Amino acid sequence: MIDLLWDNLDYAASMVLFCIGLYAVITRNNLIKKFMGLNIMETAIFAFIVALGVVDGGNAPIMGEGAAKPFINPLPQALILTGIVVAVSTTALALSLVIRIWRQCGTIEADELREAE
Amino acid sequence: MTSWPPLLVLFVLTPLVGAVLTPAVSDASGRRSWEWALGTMLLTSAMAGALIMRVLDEGPFSYVVGGWVAPYGIELRFDEFSAFVAVVCLLGLLAVIFSRHYARDALAPGRIPYYYTLLLLNMTGMIGFIVTGDLFNLYVFMEILSLSAYALVAISGEKTAEMAAFKYLVMGAVSSLSILFGVGLLYALTGSLNMADVTGRLAGSAEAPLVLAFAALTLGFMVKSALFPLHIWLPDAHAIAPSPVSAVLSGLVVKVGILGMLRVYQIAYGSGAIDLSGLNLMLTWLGAISIVMGAFFAVFQDDIKMMLAYSTISNIGYIVMGLGLASPYSLIGASVHVFNHALIKATLFLGAGALIHQTGRRTLTGLAGVGRSMPLTTAAVSIGAISIVGIPPTAGFLCKWYIALGAMQAGEPLFAVALVFGALLIFVYYIRMVNAFYFRKPQEAGAPAVHEAPATMLVPVLILAALCLVMGVLGRLPLSFIEPAVTRLLAPLGGG
Amino acid sequence: MEVVDARVALAPAISLLCGALVFAAADNTFWRRFWSVSAALAKLGIVMSMLPGSLRGVVYTFDLVEFTPGVGLAFRADALGMFFSVVSSTLWLFTTVYAIGYMEREPNRRRFFGFFALCVSTTVGVAFAENLLTMFLFYETLTICTYPLVIHDETPEAMRAGRTYLVYTLTGGAFVLLGSIWTYQLAGTMTLSQPGILSMEAGRTTLTALFVCLIAGFGVKAAIMPLHGWLPTAMVAPTPVSALLHAVAVVKVGAFGVLRTIYNVFGVELLRELGVCDWLAALAAVTIVTASIIAIFQDNFKRRLAFSTISQLSYIVLGAALLSPLAATAAIVHIANQAFAKITMFFVAGSIQRTTGKTTIHELAGIGYRMPYTMGAFTVAALSFIGIPLFAGFVTKWYLSLGALESDRWIYALVMLGSALLNAAYWLPIVYTAFFKAPHEEVVVQEAHWTMLGPTLACAAYVLLLGMTVSVPGMPFALAQAAVTFVFGM
Repeated sequence: MIDLLWDNLDYAASMVLFCIGLYAVITRNNLIKKFMGLNIMETAIFAFIVALGVVDGGNAPIMGEGAAKPFINPLPQALILTGIVVAVSTTALALSLVIRIWRQCGTIEADELREAE
Repeated sequence: MTSWPPLLVLFVLTPLVGAVLTPAVSDASGRRSWEWALGTMLLTSAMAGALIMRVLDEGPFSYVVGGWVAPYGIELRFDEFSAFVAVVCLLGLLAVIFSRHYARDALAPGRIPYYYTLLLLNMTGMIGFIVTGDLFNLYVFMEILSLSAYALVAISGEKTAEMAAFKYLVMGAVSSLSILFGVGLLYALTGSLNMADVTGRLAGSAEAPLVLAFAALTLGFMVKSALFPLHIWLPDAHAIAPSPVSAVLSGLVVKVGILGMLRVYQIAYGSGAIDLSGLNLMLTWLGAISIVMGAFFAVFQDDIKMMLAYSTISNIGYIVMGLGLASPYSLIGASVHVFNHALIKATLFLGAGALIHQTGRRTLTGLAGVGRSMPLTTAAVSIGAISIVGIPPTAGFLCKWYIALGAMQAGEPLFAVALVFGALLIFVYYIRMVNAFYFRKPQEAGAPAVHEAPATMLVPVLILAALCLVMGVLGRLPLSFIEPAVTRLLAPLGGG
Repeated sequence: MEVVDARVALAPAISLLCGALVFAAADNTFWRRFWSVSAALAKLGIVMSMLPGSLRGVVYTFDLVEFTPGVGLAFRADALGMFFSVVSSTLWLFTTVYAIGYMEREPNRRRFFGFFALCVSTTVGVAFAENLLTMFLFYETLTICTYPLVIHDETPEAMRAGRTYLVYTLTGGAFVLLGSIWTYQLAGTMTLSQPGILSMEAGRTTLTALFVCLIAGFGVKAAIMPLHGWLPTAMVAPTPVSALLHAVAVVKVGAFGVLRTIYNVFGVELLRELGVCDWLAALAAVTIVTASIIAIFQDNFKRRLAFSTISQLSYIVLGAALLSPLAATAAIVHIANQAFAKITMFFVAGSIQRTTGKTTIHELAGIGYRMPYTMGAFTVAALSFIGIPLFAGFVTKWYLSLGALESDRWIYALVMLGSALLNAAYWLPIVYTAFFKAPHEEVVVQEAHWTMLGPTLACAAYVLLLGMTVSVPGMPFALAQAAVTFVFGM
């Protein structure tokens, strides 16, 4: 069991991160903190997918001098670049919403906002 | 022309380019951006027509972007389920037309071009999501769709709208991550992202990660489609958004979850690598509970758009129940209801939007007696109501008939009972609505004289209401259209 | 012999058109009356024009729209359907004339007459329905169309009654839909053109459940106890509506649905084997007696009529459930007999209310001197209900008792006898009060307007005619017999 965990430490770590993030999203009262939880979740998933492409002892798959097999699978990294773009857009949108909520309600605590409603 | 291969790519790119350019062509009044968005949607709709003609002729086809074949390249695929783009384009077009006066009155002038940008981006995401054959692209298009939807909910700038948008965003982002996780797992198992390819390679994979992958995907799509108990984001978001946006959200955006589940089913059934009966059972139950709970909450709403939003939850319940029952009839019924519910709910939301726009009131009490001053709009909304309850000969009937028949076919008559009594509850609250329109006296005697909405709002509503009737009478067209797809879907199971 | 003929679809359509024209006529009284009466006449004409063919054994059919193979809207005028539509078309004409007089000064007349026409359209739609789906559609539409009539006064009481009405009937409709889907799943068809489409293969439990489902669905409108609760509360509606609800449209549609379920969905043979009809017959018998006993204690005129309706409707159900040809004849004929007698009574109640403002029975002392013709008509109807020979009600009771004896269930013959006594116990006091009690105020002969008196007398005349001879013009006993021959395969 321990061996299995040790072999897949990268996956296990991303799962732990994911759970931390989800916990924050669910329990935090502050909208920014909620969103930070979401960012942690995003990071966890990204790390997980990038880790999929890792080959033990692999090199960066860059052609040219010094290129030698085995290469690391570049596809997950390319995907995650796109994923990061998506995550950044989401964050930008969320933060702009939070700013507007702050300006209009004077608070970004979820419970106070509910009362104000 | 219809078989010109790159058309499929252009089909996705047109609304995207249109969206990006909208702010650039805009003028101060927002009129030019409306014209531009209208033109884009017209062009996109024409392409959708051509593509559907082709799928009718040849059956499913695909296009490989840049000549890179699967599993390396990006494949766009068009099959019978993709014919949903017809409804997407139609609703998009009508929503844009409807927005001309609506947006001018409801939004700050500076936001109007961006409103159309977001609407077109939403269409892009929707179309891309439907035609892509690649799992990761599925995720990307879904995010385009979702991000524009969050922003559209907030666009009116009221604080309740922004809070609803934030709630929607958090739940939506979590569900997207769940889907991305599932996609990643499938990639890890097969080394491919192309759906057809993944289907072929899944057989023989380890069971635990496979179950995890499908669970993550389903969970994500369940949130996107607002299945009970993951529906909590929906009522606020759909009720507070501007009405044309509500129509698009309720009619199209929640269907992303459903279409996503259909894709998941295609992979799971096609590969035969996993037994979905447990998942099916769960979906059937959740669907049934959604029907009843959605209807139950709707009965207590006074806000007309809130009522419609809860009704969406019920109807998603119908569709999911049909998927879960997994019998040929119920799947046909569910797939057709994806189309028809879009039409019906758009009728209702646009109609409600016209009523709210003209009267300035959004509660049933406030709208009392409006049938006398806006007879055409209320008639259209009533047709929509009859249709969503599922009374023949309207569009809603055949789907529910087929889903109920499917429940019988699957040997689960209890779910047919849930369906029928859910429909009854839905009937109850639509009767409240019709009651308010026609049989209650207007509240205040001195209310300002109300008249029908301008043509840009009235005509889309009337077209949709007419379609609700036409799709009911010609109900067998979509049925026979979707049947081969369902047969193909179930073929590996030996059913159908 | 089957003939494709658009007249079958035209008959429901013409009332639909009339409804539309009435709404279009806005507040123009002349056109509203003109369209209402001419549509009633046109419809009667159409139905009557099919009658000779129908008597020769021709069955008219018309497929309106087919959604998918086997699922669609289609019309078919067989003997049973023709019988029902002849009754409802005739009574629509009378009720329309009556309503014109009765509603003279009421608000919202346009809505009233519009939905009134729609109700009759849907009733004929049910009569001519070729399959369960068409029947369900019109059954539900009828519910929706009668709702605005029930809440016509828009008082809180009326709104409450409307709500009760909807809860009962819509739930019933849901059961009908469920039963239709189920039938389609079991039999692969929903047609009502065969003497039974189900077979024992489906299994005893399933069939029993389906039977309960369909009977519960139709039984709501047929007001079989304990599903009758909506009917007395719906009495707040204007009297022509009560007449329409309780004599022609709503309740008869329910009873008709029960007949269709027994004869055309299950079939007599299957039900004999299944044995569920004994329970239905017992329930009907209990309803007949209980409702009569409750009726005795009602002082409000219309409420007494309502409970009498509940009791009388179960005659039809009982007749059908006995599964004997003679009882079946009684059941079908009673559709007409009860309709004419009950509508006479409602017309009387309405006339009295309009002319004198009286709504309770104890106020009616001496009313027979003030409105002799009206109360004369009432007496005819009352005697018919009691089952005196020469009146329509006697025919029913006679055949029903024969049917009970034929199927060796003499207990139901006793129920008939008991019911006759109970009917006497609640109708005769009204006759007595009207004619033999001293009036409270000075007597002046003051009949209702001719538009109200005319239909009342015409209906009373029909009651007499139906009792005296079985070959009343336009009210063919032969059709009932043809229907019975068909379903019993004789």
